[in-house]
Amino acid sequence: MVAIKLENVSKIFFRQPLKRKYTTLRETLLHYFDWLKNKEKARYVEAIKDISLSIERGESVGIIGMNGSGKSTLLKLLAGIYKPDSGKVYVKGRVASLIGVGIGFHPGFTGRENIFINGIILGLSKKEIKRRFDDIVKFAELEDYIDEPVRTYSDGMFMRLGFSIATNVDPDILLIDEILAVGDEYFGHKCAEKIAEFRRLGKTMVIVSHQLEAIEKWCDRVVWLNDGMIREIGIPSKVIDSYRNAIAQKEGKIPLEIRSSEAKLRVPTP
Amino acid sequence: MFSNVIELYRCRVLIVSLVLKEVKLRYYGSVLGFLWTFLNPLLLMCVYTIVFSTFLRIKVENYPVFLFCGLIPWVWFSTSILEGADSIIRGGDLITRVLFPPQVLPTVTVFSNMINFVFSLPILFIFLLLFKVKIGGALIALPIVMIIQAVFTMGLVLMVSALNVHFRDIQHILGNLIIMWFFTTPILYPMTSIPANLKFISRINPMATLIKAYRDILFYRQFPNWLLLGITLCFGFLVFFLGNLVFNRYKESFPEEV
Repeated sequence: MVAIKLENVSKIFFRQPLKRKYTTLRETLLHYFDWLKNKEKARYVEAIKDISLSIERGESVGIIGMNGSGKSTLLKLLAGIYKPDSGKVYVKGRVASLIGVGIGFHPGFTGRENIFINGIILGLSKKEIKRRFDDIVKFAELEDYIDEPVRTYSDGMFMRLGFSIATNVDPDILLIDEILAVGDEYFGHKCAEKIAEFRRLGKTMVIVSHQLEAIEKWCDRVVWLNDGMIREIGIPSKVIDSYRNAIAQKEGKIPLEIRSSEAKLRVPTP
Repeated sequence: MFSNVIELYRCRVLIVSLVLKEVKLRYYGSVLGFLWTFLNPLLLMCVYTIVFSTFLRIKVENYPVFLFCGLIPWVWFSTSILEGADSIIRGGDLITRVLFPPQVLPTVTVFSNMINFVFSLPILFIFLLLFKVKIGGALIALPIVMIIQAVFTMGLVLMVSALNVHFRDIQHILGNLIIMWFFTTPILYPMTSIPANLKFISRINPMATLIKAYRDILFYRQFPNWLLLGITLCFGFLVFFLGNLVFNRYKESFPEEV
């Protein structure tokens, strides 16, 4: 059964002029006149270009690629935060996105209060949070501090709490964006275990990460995004290898394996 | 329009908890804390009373109470507009990083300010007793006036919050516009002191009708003019409808623009 399906999805961002952090009415008018004058001048960036992809239920898919290749945009499209400019996104099941943890936390509130507010933001009902409350606290290992204001927490404690709430939402589909390194080594292992558990439970996962080893370990398939398009898709070890080679080439170093395999290819020609 | 209302109803738990959060947070970290909810309107009233009954000498009996009746609903209205204008932008991560219904944010500002309004009512009642103005039975009409004000304010706040994401000038213009609106609404002075040729301004100003209604109920112990309130309610719904149109037109662009 298909859990996620993308059909010819494109996403366009309008290129914003430098310094345009704040649009003003005047700038918009000027911008409009500019546009009338030279229409052909492209003022937009196509972050995702006509991508089609389908992910089976229970499958975990890694997304790799260089900065600006559209990984996070793709994830936000899956999460429903962005709407595609063309094409369709189908997602079946409850989605939990670990795109940002600890969002909506307020430093002045206690851990307990923040769990409730954050949980409700993530789409849980009060009852569900009450039921999972102990699990959340236990996983974050904050039993002794849960009634202290969050501003007294260390960064690690803060992240642990956020991660713990997000993973306790009990999703069918989990979207993970580069937060596999939460807290210290110890908590990192716990997170890894949690993700392994999700895999065992047959949850669908989409993981964006630059940690290629982690991707190789956790994913059934890897998508290599380049410039908003799928450059390669397939079994992790293969895609990651060609991705690494591409990076090496960009750095000007042609790796040994490639040279030898190319050499092999050339030899048979009589 | 209905899609937004349904969505808002669906996430009522979220709204309630965010409203409570806002109310608790308003005076977070201050020594007097929650007491400020009462002190703030009180001090504001003192300032205006000194200026307008001692310096400018407006001739109204029991002026402080007269003023207070109009001032607290106005504070609800103006603070909602000003805070609501950048509510989406202040939402930040909520908008850009989680799937979050954006209409919740302006709604929360309107309702958290309504709670503050409700909290300042007891002070008003104390003042009414102090000045020996009796509390009348017309009080039962108060919730109706509040609902009309809530509808009208929601519409405006939805509109300005969505527009402000694209045109951030709005929050700067609004500050001055609201002051202008404040002085042209009969809050500091009675309706009767407006020159006859300018009366039409308060006729087309829904806030003037609402403030007058509050004053009728609380100060003059009489029922408000239902016809005028009915017209204001219709106008409120129109503004609410327009606000939803504007909001829906822009809401998909929020995650990219915030």
